[in-house]
Amino acid sequence: MSEENWIEVGSTGSIEEEDLIRFDHQDKTFCVYRLTDGFYATDGMCTHEAVHLEDGLVMDDEIECPMHQGIFNIKSGEALSPPACEDLKTYPVKVDNDKIFIKIE
Amino acid sequence: MKNNIIILGGGQAGIYAAREIRQNDLKSNIKILGEENLLPYERPPLSKDFLLDRKNEENLYFHSGDVLKNENIDFEYVSINKVDFENKKLFTKNDDVYSYNTLLISTGSENKKLSVDNNLTDDIYYLRNLEEAKIIKKKVLNKNKVTIIGGGFIGLEIASSLSQLQKKVTVIEIGNQLMGRIIPKQIADLVQKTHIEHGNEIILNKQIDKIIKKNGIYEILLNDNSLIETDFVIAGIGSTPSVKLFENTNLKLDNGIVTNQYCETSIKDVYAAGDVSNFYHPLYERNIRLESYQHAQNHGICAGKNIAGVKTEYSSIPWMWSDQFNLNLQLTGICDDFDEIVERGNDINNGIIYFFLKNKKIQGACGLGIVGKVGRDIRITSKLSENNTIVDTKILADKTQKLNKLMQK
Ligand SMILES: Cc1cc2nc3c(=O)[nH]c(=O)nc-3n(C[C@H](O)[C@H](O)[C@H](O)COP(=O)(O)OP(=O)(O)OC[C@H]3O[C@@H](n4cnc5c(N)ncnc54)[C@H](O)[C@@H]3O)c2cc1C
Ligand code: FES
Repeated sequence: MSEENWIEVGSTGSIEEEDLIRFDHQDKTFCVYRLTDGFYATDGMCTHEAVHLEDGLVMDDEIECPMHQGIFNIKSGEALSPPACEDLKTYPVKVDNDKIFIKIE
Repeated sequence: MKNNIIILGGGQAGIYAAREIRQNDLKSNIKILGEENLLPYERPPLSKDFLLDRKNEENLYFHSGDVLKNENIDFEYVSINKVDFENKKLFTKNDDVYSYNTLLISTGSENKKLSVDNNLTDDIYYLRNLEEAKIIKKKVLNKNKVTIIGGGFIGLEIASSLSQLQKKVTVIEIGNQLMGRIIPKQIADLVQKTHIEHGNEIILNKQIDKIIKKNGIYEILLNDNSLIETDFVIAGIGSTPSVKLFENTNLKLDNGIVTNQYCETSIKDVYAAGDVSNFYHPLYERNIRLESYQHAQNHGICAGKNIAGVKTEYSSIPWMWSDQFNLNLQLTGICDDFDEIVERGNDINNGIIYFFLKNKKIQGACGLGIVGKVGRDIRITSKLSENNTIVDTKILADKTQKLNKLMQK
């Protein structure tokens, strides 16, 4: 794994527990989550319609879309509840010196 | 002999019930009888993304035929037109007979028809199913002026879609606000403003006196003697539960099929779920009937559990949405029984919510915002309501404070 693939998102303090922040990079948007056991990242848009998941509700390991309550597992990206049926893409995350990095490619 | 479970009505409640029964019962025969020659599909996109060509037919199905086959669920394309509850039999027009041990009725609801002269009945279009959506989509293509009679959710969603297809849309509503009294007037007015900004004409407080067809153009005469000329007429004037089949039986009906919190009807071994059922809600301690996506799914699942012998009470908090232009409206709980109203937010770009409270507990809420801006708060609201939480109204009213603060851990 080369260093260039990891992109800095922000500091660990910037996300409250059971919450998320949106992170835009080039023309893509991501969501980075802080769950009880660590940090996770997914695509930032719902797979059902083009809606930012940053406005959704994080509950345990799940993110619920603010538009039609489609639910995804944050760790696996699995679509758990209709109308969302297509899985959400997930990305590796690492924390280094209180900074969060995600690996986009 | 094998146990026969029949699901009458192959819509959303029906398919979710069937799959839930199979999860709990591997042995019984499960057969869905549906009068649309289509596997169960989602209706919400019909008035929105399907008309706009952003979703096609293949995107609408809940599950593929393979899923049903793998779970050994039969789907038969047939319309039932007689029921004999005493002998547990259903009949088609041609007297084909289906016998059941347990029956789930999930026949949904149907559109109210506009009363017009006989020669014009075929000229008024309605939207309930995929077939009708396809017809509207095709016929409206070369039309310019479209009039929608009825300013409810479906009528307004069609108005939003057709406006985006560059049609000149007029909506005629009999009431003094859009979407009925259940929606706070302030929110109805904001929706109306958005339609007008997009070029739609909204006429309130007016009734149709007569519709006349002249050289392929319709003249709609209103009760104040004004006249609207239009190329195409769609009516969305509400719906009624599909219960005609049961009218002369001893199944208890009252605004749909009356069911208890276990989806049981007044007849043993007969259950009902979805739009067609007027169910007892233990939280509100009264019967309610809902026409919503989330309810059809959850109620279907609950009926499936009860049919399979897993006794389960239905106490899901009502929730529905409507998408018009770039707005997302959401409604949760019940908004007709309250002693206090609290407003949160004052700008649709960030979302506005009206909460309806009774004894400091949230009964219901209605929110409007550009896409995505009210969902989280509405979802938390449903949870607060479900948990009967006494809420601090100052936090509710303060957009700078997060609502999760109100949740008891
Ligand atoms: C255009 C449109 C847009 C909507 N948009 C939204 C939305 O944005 N948000 C939301 O929350 N809800 C929305 N809804 C509501 C939601 O789709 C319904 O509440 C839901 O489909 C109800 O499910 P159901 O299974 O009870 O009934 P249905 O899905 O209507 O299924 C009933 C089925 O039973 C069949 N049937 C009836 N009688 C017989 C018979 N005698 N024999 C055989 N088959 C029979 C019918 O043909 C139908 O296929 C919308 C509905 C429509 C029509
Ligand atoms: S846009 Fe996310 S569930 Fe519909």
